[in-house]
Amino acid sequence: MSSPWEPKIVAFLCHWCSYAGADLAGVSRIQYPPNIRVIRVPCSGSVDPLYILKALREGADGVLVSGCHPGDCHYLSGNYFARRKFFVLYELLRFLGLEGRVHFSWVSASEGQRFAEVVTSVVAAVEKLGPSPLAGERKYHDLA
Amino acid sequence: MTLREGARKLLEEKSVQGVLGYKRGSLPFRTRPYLFRNPQEVEELVFTPFCGTNLARYLLRLPGDFGKVAVVAKGCDSRALTVLVREHQLKRENLYILGVHCPGMVDWRKLAQWKDLKESEVAFEEGTILIRGVPHPLSSFLEASCKRCRYRSPLEYDILLGAEASPFPFEDHLAALWRLPKEKRWEFFAQELSRCIRCYACRNACPMCYCKECFAESHKPLFIHPSPTLRDNFVFHLGRAMHLAGRCVECGACERACPLGIPIATLFLAVAEIVREHFAFEAGASVEAPAPFVTYREDDPNAFIL
Repeated sequence: MSSPWEPKIVAFLCHWCSYAGADLAGVSRIQYPPNIRVIRVPCSGSVDPLYILKALREGADGVLVSGCHPGDCHYLSGNYFARRKFFVLYELLRFLGLEGRVHFSWVSASEGQRFAEVVTSVVAAVEKLGPSPLAGERKYHDLA
Repeated sequence: MTLREGARKLLEEKSVQGVLGYKRGSLPFRTRPYLFRNPQEVEELVFTPFCGTNLARYLLRLPGDFGKVAVVAKGCDSRALTVLVREHQLKRENLYILGVHCPGMVDWRKLAQWKDLKESEVAFEEGTILIRGVPHPLSSFLEASCKRCRYRSPLEYDILLGAEASPFPFEDHLAALWRLPKEKRWEFFAQELSRCIRCYACRNACPMCYCKECFAESHKPLFIHPSPTLRDNFVFHLGRAMHLAGRCVECGACERACPLGIPIATLFLAVAEIVREHFAFEAGASVEAPAPFVTYREDDPNAFIL
């Protein structure tokens, strides 16, 4: 028996803002779709574009990377560097026609409500696109 | 002074240990990189529209104590040299750059439709290629990266030899792809990326891919499985494209090396274009400007972020 398809989304959340924002959403009992799998990272600047590509390779239908608002980075400029990398990756994926699967957001530690809204919109966007074309051949060679 | 005279002079004066240039390959229309060590050999030095190979790649393979070497450089080669000097892979004082004006590099694969074509049956004139006496526009035989080349003459050189070659129309195959609907674009890339057998020839030919250990072959962390499936090929080529952001000199070496004829340079050219357009940076065009990923501006593009 197979259940209807649900998008799987990997979320890289920075420890200082977005992860705390997600925590706030949780303790405030704000409802949002349960489709995200959170990976806590020290800073959005530490998210190598390869992490995002690997998530897609492993069968994620979408990826969300979230960090502190510009100017609020715990490491002062990590998110500014991240923004440049993400922009190039975003445009490159757009060029390949894979628009709408990889999302970036700035969510602060006090924005629990906003975190829920971001996740809701990301899940809705990925749901609209359907399963990832890279997730199809999942039977073989799954990495640990 | 011709290229040969320039190279011979350098070798006779012993001001360089060798001249890295091209000589005829063993198959028609093919050339191979060759390190000329003594002046008698220089007769074999050639520079034709079949010398696409980026020689900067080969400098990285010389022993560290080789000393000063002269290198024949087109526009893209000179850009590659500049990037490699910036990244401390080469020492500028150990280089003597013999700049040459690039006539545009011909894709020898496009000559395959003429059976048993000999080198003597092909000639070049202002913007045309004569095949068995029949003129054809040169631009339709050029490699994709050459068609959208913006620096045919070297930007950095010690001596610039030869005459400026005739211009040819700028043809942007990226813009044509961007105009397609996104489903069509993915269809195109999915098909092309599925064909890749991951021989890594593109990486090995790339003057910028000099990492001792490549992420593609790393086991810890393991990014991709060695099997050439679409999703692994996707990670390999996009990962490489990200590593080449702000470093790709648009020479087309990857595409030339591909045994399957996948237009793989398209990805790297697209990244170069994104960096040029939004971060106003061109790899190898300036020695001083900071590389795009080691700097930032507070007003960088932000509209794509939720």
